[in-house]
Amino acid sequence: MSIKLNKIFLYLFLGLAFIWLFVPFSMALLWSLVDPSVSWSYPDIFPKKLSLQRWFDMWETTSLSTAMLNSYSLAPLAALVTIVLASPTAYAFAKIDFPGREVFKVLVLIPLVVPSFVIAIFFTSLLYSLHIYAKYPSILLGHVLLFMPYAVRILTVSFTQVNDDIVNAARDLGANPWAIFKVAYLPAIKPGILASLLIVFILSIEEFAVAFIVGSPDFTTIPTILYSFLGYNFIRSNAAVVSLVLVGPNVLLMLFLERLLQSANPQNVSGKG
Amino acid sequence: MKKPWWVVLLLITPGFGFVLLLIGAVVSMAVAQSIGFYNFAGESQFSLEHWQQIISGDGSRRFWRAFRYSAYIASYSAILSVIIAYPIALWLRKPFKGSITLSAILKAPMLVHGLVAAFLMINVISYHGFINEFMIWSGLWDKPVRMQNDKLGIGVIFLQVWKQMPFALLLLSGSVQNLSDSVLDAAQDLGAGSIARFRKVVLPLTLQSLQAALILIFIGAAGDFSFQKVAGPTAENSMATLMIYVQTDVGDWNGAAVIAIMLMVLALFGSLAVAIAAKYVSRVATL
Repeated sequence: MSIKLNKIFLYLFLGLAFIWLFVPFSMALLWSLVDPSVSWSYPDIFPKKLSLQRWFDMWETTSLSTAMLNSYSLAPLAALVTIVLASPTAYAFAKIDFPGREVFKVLVLIPLVVPSFVIAIFFTSLLYSLHIYAKYPSILLGHVLLFMPYAVRILTVSFTQVNDDIVNAARDLGANPWAIFKVAYLPAIKPGILASLLIVFILSIEEFAVAFIVGSPDFTTIPTILYSFLGYNFIRSNAAVVSLVLVGPNVLLMLFLERLLQSANPQNVSGKG
Repeated sequence: MKKPWWVVLLLITPGFGFVLLLIGAVVSMAVAQSIGFYNFAGESQFSLEHWQQIISGDGSRRFWRAFRYSAYIASYSAILSVIIAYPIALWLRKPFKGSITLSAILKAPMLVHGLVAAFLMINVISYHGFINEFMIWSGLWDKPVRMQNDKLGIGVIFLQVWKQMPFALLLLSGSVQNLSDSVLDAAQDLGAGSIARFRKVVLPLTLQSLQAALILIFIGAAGDFSFQKVAGPTAENSMATLMIYVQTDVGDWNGAAVIAIMLMVLALFGSLAVAIAAKYVSRVATL
């Protein structure tokens, strides 16, 4: 393709990307800053008065703070539990030859292809039939199930990168298991551990189906509270505030994750799915 | 490395075992409830009554409508996503100034939560949204046009493509970048134009990624709940919204189970059908 044509395409696409991302997000930001005393309605192109009042109101009068507490305490717990449970499996998948390994590697991905609302509903009915009604631990368990495939997959790739020569050399030099782990395993799997912690954290913050169904009607997370502002009681400014609360931190974390993945295992780990 | 079987079993139980046991239990629960067991509202015993009620009884019209609607949304979303992603992946195959920024911008929607995406789109297309205000301000339209919750579900398909196209782009970019220059150059030397090269070289060699993208997007879109609820036509149900409605509002867990099984059937066979169709198209294209 000629260079000139390429340039035209590039500007065209950057313009499109402007409409693609910049316009929607600025509108959300504007809506979140509309002062409650003066409404923003047709035919005003811009709101008449801007303030942070909505943000304060949301914090004080809705259950946003509870939802944030729930989301931001569930996510690190889910990440930690998932990594701890996933690591031995990942080690076995990467380092041990056993019959059926390839099949197992595929089977562990099943939660990714079952529609999330099917999992959410029948996970709930499973809990009911076992007479388990505690919501917080149930949602935690659901998140560990949903995101285990990501952790197993990322960590398997990391464990594959552990150099057996270093393991053997350390052993020959008389290192104890902890020392072997420190010199041979840790450097290779550290980026993978960080990456899986981050991805499970982000996905757990964003998870909607299980939190919505298992948590209904009174347990809120950030996505479920956003859904409530988009549904029956549609309040555009409130939805704008929650949207920004949900997207902001996660985008930053995702960019960090992308860098981690690039340094760890470029080709082998797919996107969020 | 070899280890005794019990060591392997011990290692894979907490991760793999946990997933298999729990997902197995969840799916079995759906199957069991669809045939009358674990009935929370009546007698639990084997019965095909729930199947009959949902797929051929009073509720059947509503069910098949939702089934067709979800199949329609999922097929269009998957096909449109790859049709848009292909030329971009080919264009970005060789890095040029600005290509990295561009690909980052195109992939950004992957980082945006689905519900947020739906909300953002509504702001843009609503009755007093950006498009309407802009068109009236510029004098192109006399009065606002109603675009939200459109009858054909174009809003939902747009959202699916917005959210899923980057995923197709990621998969296709990977395999397009693996194409060797010598093969493409050889085709060009033999007189193949860019369309012929795409049909006879690129398409067959990247077919697997194409199929993977189609399958994953189809499955995701077939099970959609949030886009449908927020931006979908108010008169239609997707399989997921119907399932939630039957379970929550009607309180019929067993009926919801039937819909769940059928949703999984749709996701499995629908995605396979789209993937097989892609293979067929690619075969015809090489002729």
